[in-house]
This record gives sequence, structure tokens and C-alpha cells, in this order.
Amino acid sequence: MTHAPRVAVIGLDCGTPQLLFRDLADEVPNIRKLMEGGMHGDLASITPPITVPAWACAMTGKTPGQLGIYGFRNRKDNTYDGMSIATSDAVKEPAVWDLLGQRGLKSLLIGVPPSYPPKPVEGWRVGCFLTPPSNKGYTHPVELQSEIEEELGGPGEYIFDIPNFREQGLDNVLDQVFKMTERRFRVARRLVTTKPWDYFMMVEMGPDRLHHVFWQYFDRRHPLYEAGNRFETAFQDYYRFLDKEVGSLLEVLPEDGVTIVMSDHGARPMMGGICINDWLVNQGYLSLSEPPSAVTSIADAPIDWGRTVAWGDGGYYGRLFLNVQGREPNGVVEPGRYEQVRDELIVALEAMPGPDGEPLGTKVFKPQDVYPDVRGVAPDLIVYFGDLDWRSVGTIGNPSVYTYENDTGPDGANHDRTGVFALSNLAGQPLGSVDGLNLVDVGPTILSLYDIEAPEGAVGRSFL
Amino acid sequence: MTEDRGFCVWFTGLSGAGKSTIAELLVPALRERGHKVELLDGDVVRTHLSKGLGFSKEDRDTNILRIGFVANLLVRNGVVAVCSAISPYREIRDRNRELIGDFVEVYVKASLEEVTRRDVKGLYEKAIAGEISNFTGVSDPYEEPESPELVIDTEQCSPQQAAEIVLAKLEELGRLKSNQPANA
Repeated sequence: MTHAPRVAVIGLDCGTPQLLFRDLADEVPNIRKLMEGGMHGDLASITPPITVPAWACAMTGKTPGQLGIYGFRNRKDNTYDGMSIATSDAVKEPAVWDLLGQRGLKSLLIGVPPSYPPKPVEGWRVGCFLTPPSNKGYTHPVELQSEIEEELGGPGEYIFDIPNFREQGLDNVLDQVFKMTERRFRVARRLVTTKPWDYFMMVEMGPDRLHHVFWQYFDRRHPLYEAGNRFETAFQDYYRFLDKEVGSLLEVLPEDGVTIVMSDHGARPMMGGICINDWLVNQGYLSLSEPPSAVTSIADAPIDWGRTVAWGDGGYYGRLFLNVQGREPNGVVEPGRYEQVRDELIVALEAMPGPDGEPLGTKVFKPQDVYPDVRGVAPDLIVYFGDLDWRSVGTIGNPSVYTYENDTGPDGANHDRTGVFALSNLAGQPLGSVDGLNLVDVGPTILSLYDIEAPEGAVGRSFL
Repeated sequence: MTEDRGFCVWFTGLSGAGKSTIAELLVPALRERGHKVELLDGDVVRTHLSKGLGFSKEDRDTNILRIGFVANLLVRNGVVAVCSAISPYREIRDRNRELIGDFVEVYVKASLEEVTRRDVKGLYEKAIAGEISNFTGVSDPYEEPESPELVIDTEQCSPQQAAEIVLAKLEELGRLKSNQPANA
């Protein structure tokens, strides 16, 4: 038996300081009690603040560059064959539970991205939001599924995520968000009381989906906000509900355990989208062999590679790829001019005005400046349009560079670079509001509670 | 705004061929993919929308056209209308196809011997004994589709396999929403 503390992490995907610490603080008494009883603060996310790499970096103590995971989708190789979604197979570095498992300590993990497919772990694992809804093997060990199905009254009741949530209709999405959260917490309460775990962690996707779909109905700063709209209290209603679920879970967690509530990134109002590829065409960096007759995904566009310097991808942030001689199949940028072209693009992107003619405030990063190590196929430039006020739209053939229609459906919120962290119930711990917390430090911090050193090469350090 | 239409999956075939069984498996699979779906089952429709209609050719045609009318309203509002009805007459099915446009006709095929053997509702025995008149396949014609999008022989596959074949066809026709996870 171990004398190590039992640590429980309740992850709230997209948990945002503005909401949890300020605007909705009164709606979340259980979470507030945790914060006030221990330490809490803003948690600086990674660059870019995207779910899969963010949770993976938090739990390995490493950067996206070290993991070679730069977003939800990643280039598979240096060809033009598009992007693949980063699943659990993409993470090659040891995470908290791997190091605990090496010492015989058991982890109970529910929905921690990326956990599809659900890799074996010393303990129990339930797949994350990447799991296809009809997946027949979403747990490790597989027998765990029958326990979940027994708890929820049948197969297919557990909700990993809300499929095509941008197209489902608002009432349906809201209903699904509540159902998903209620069922995940019900499963969590069941498993934390039936499994002899040493480390427990769950990640709830509800806040992320709520924010993306309903932010403009809640936030008076959002340009689409209308007072008195029928979803005006959706955030309050959901957070009250979520807090009750957190409270019910806390009741069944061990009294002497350490509790952490945290998120991977925050959210902010989204002003619109920048059609990065149309901008590149306008600036002469991207050529098509024929003009698109309709709005087309970049993967399907007739790109004239022999005359294309750069192309981009959509998402909550922009990614720009250069077409480099000797690297891409039909590269045109001479390797000796690579840095010069990148610098030119940075200047042009950062000078891009908004639709009102005022500077958009775009920030552009070279991966090599952000990460100490750049593995895999990194984007050549990482772009925060309007410092994340605007998302990147990957299609081409749009009537304007500025769009208010997302290429994947409506979206009221973009990701923001700051999440939340609260830790309580640890003897002698720091108390009150704490500055300078970093997402990559969370894994090493958790390991330190078990007297385990951060894994080799980790840039994160325990902040205890 | 782009037009967001649904589509209609129209199951036709003899009574007992497996139309409703396959349709009932298809509906949750479509919902899982994020589609809004309604099932219009001929037997159920006859209990309300077409209550009082009999089985003369005229009444049968009216019933099928009513189902087509409702399916069209659903489709133009972004819903997938899954329709399951014997719909024995080609001309009437084709009128629905013309009305709805986004129409995927699935012929659920089983031989008369097989559906008589199955006799799910105990009707074939009565029809063959002459107790029921106007019974499709026995005393009324069934006109096979000439160019359906899909033919499923339910003597060769299970209902689950049949539903998967339909899904695969819908995927091939580009009707299905992506089952890819969403960015987060």
C-alpha cells in the first residue's frame, strides 16, 4: 500500500477565468469553496491553446514542439495530403499516469484528451471526446464498459461529445450539453467509489461546447449579443448545474485527498473569421490553376503548387505552411530565402487591418521561437488573428477576407490563452490567488505530490 | 445562408421483407451522426394521418402520397425523412421522388416464399387462404423499382448488416454528415 495522497483532478475543458473567477463566481459555490480554501489562479495555456495538445502538454510537462502536436489537426508529413486528427497514438511521451503506473499506482481516467483509442493504463480509462459515438471499445479494460452501461441504463447512453454540435439546433445542443455532463459525472461518481484508484482525473467537455455555441447569447461584449434573448441565462443555468455535479462528486471523493480543478484553455468572444487562403491569394502568395466557382476546402482547391509560396489552415488559430524546395513535393521557396519569406509574411500578417480599417492586432509566432524543440511537421507560422479575437477560416473562394460565417458552422467564442487552476486540501500548500501558473507545470506538480520527479526533458516544474 | 436540406430514405418492399426493422436501426445511427431524423412508417401513418384509408389502389396511392407530402416538408427543413412503406406502385414512388428530389430509394427484397415463411404479422396465411383481399404479393401486385439507389436482399444479410449497407450507400452518395470529431 502507498502512503501517497490520492489526487483527484476535475478538468473543465475551456474553463475560463472571466467566468469562473468573476462573472459566474456566484453560480459555482462548490468550485469557489475549493478556490478559497486553497490556491487558485489564471493558468497560462500553451501556444496554441487547443484542447488535445493542451491536455497532453499538461500531463507530460512538455511543449507542443516536444510532443510534435501543434493543434487538433496536424500535417502527417511534408506532402500536400492534408491533415490528420491527433489521437492518443500521437502522444509518445510519458504522462502522469504512466509514471504512476511504473510505481504500481493506479489511475482512473475519464475522458482525458487524447484518449481515443483508449490505450492500456495501470488502472482504468474511459475514452475522450474524440471517441466515435458508436465505438464499441471505448474503455480500458473493455469490461469497464458494462459497468458504465449498467450505471446509465444501457449501451449508447454515455455521451463522449455532441456530434456536429454547430449544426444541431440550439435547443438540442443545450439539452445535450446538460445530458453529457450529468452522465459523465454520474459515471465518475460510480467509478471513484468502486475502483481502488490512487490518481483520478476526468475532463468534462460541456463548458467548451457551451462556450462555442452560446457565448454570444451571454456576453454583452459580443457584437451579436441581444439583450433579452432566450438563451441569455444558458451560461448561468449550465454553470449552476455543473457546480452541483462537481459538488456531488466532491462528496464521494476521499476527505483527505488533494483536489484540483483546472482547464486547458479559456475562451473569449469571437468577432469573426479571417479567410487566410483568400488573403494569401490577394497578397500573391497562393495561386490557383482556376478560380474556385464556390467556397472550397483548401484540401480540394486546385492549387498551382509551382506558383504557390504558402497556404493556410483554419481553426481557432491560423497555421501557415510554406512550400519549400526540397521539403514539399513541388516546393518553390528556396531554403536560403526561407527566413526572409517567413519574416515578410509576419510583417504583412501583423499589418493586416480589420474590416473597419483599424489594425487587427494580429500576432504571429515562429514555432522555433516558442518551443525549445520542434518535432514532427510543425506549421511554419502560427497566427493569432486579432490576438485570437478572430478565428482562421481554411476555405478558399470566399467573397471577402473577413467572414462572419464560420466554415464549420456558427461559433460565438474563440479559444483564449488563459485557463484556470485551483488546488486544495494539501497540508502546508500555498493559499489564495497565485500568479505565474503554467499549464506545462501541472503534470510535474501532480507528480511531486507522489514524490515523483518530472519526466526527463519536461520543461514544466512543480509550482508547489 | 446556405440551403440546409435533409433527404429522404424510402424503403419499399413486400410486407415482412424487413423495411421497418432496418429503418428503426438506421434512425439512431443517423442521429448519432448529428442528423435530425423522423421515421414515417406506413403501418403507423395508417393509424392517424391516413386513418380510414383502405387497401384499394386509390387508397394505397393516397397513403403513399401523403407520406411523400410530409417527407417533403421535413426534407426541406433539414430533416432526414426515413419512410418505410410497402409502396407497391412504381408510379407513385416516382411521384414522391419527383416531389422530394433528395430521394434515396431502397428496395428491401425478399422472395414471396421467404416473407410467407416469416409471416411476421400472420397476414400471408390469411391472404393465401383468401381471408384478406388486396394483399400485396398475393392478390395485389408489387412493382419492383427499376433503378433504386440500393437493393438489399434480406435473405442474404441480417438487419444490422442491412442498416450498415444503407449507411455505407448514404456515405457514398455524400448524404451523411461527417462523423469526424469537432475541434476543441
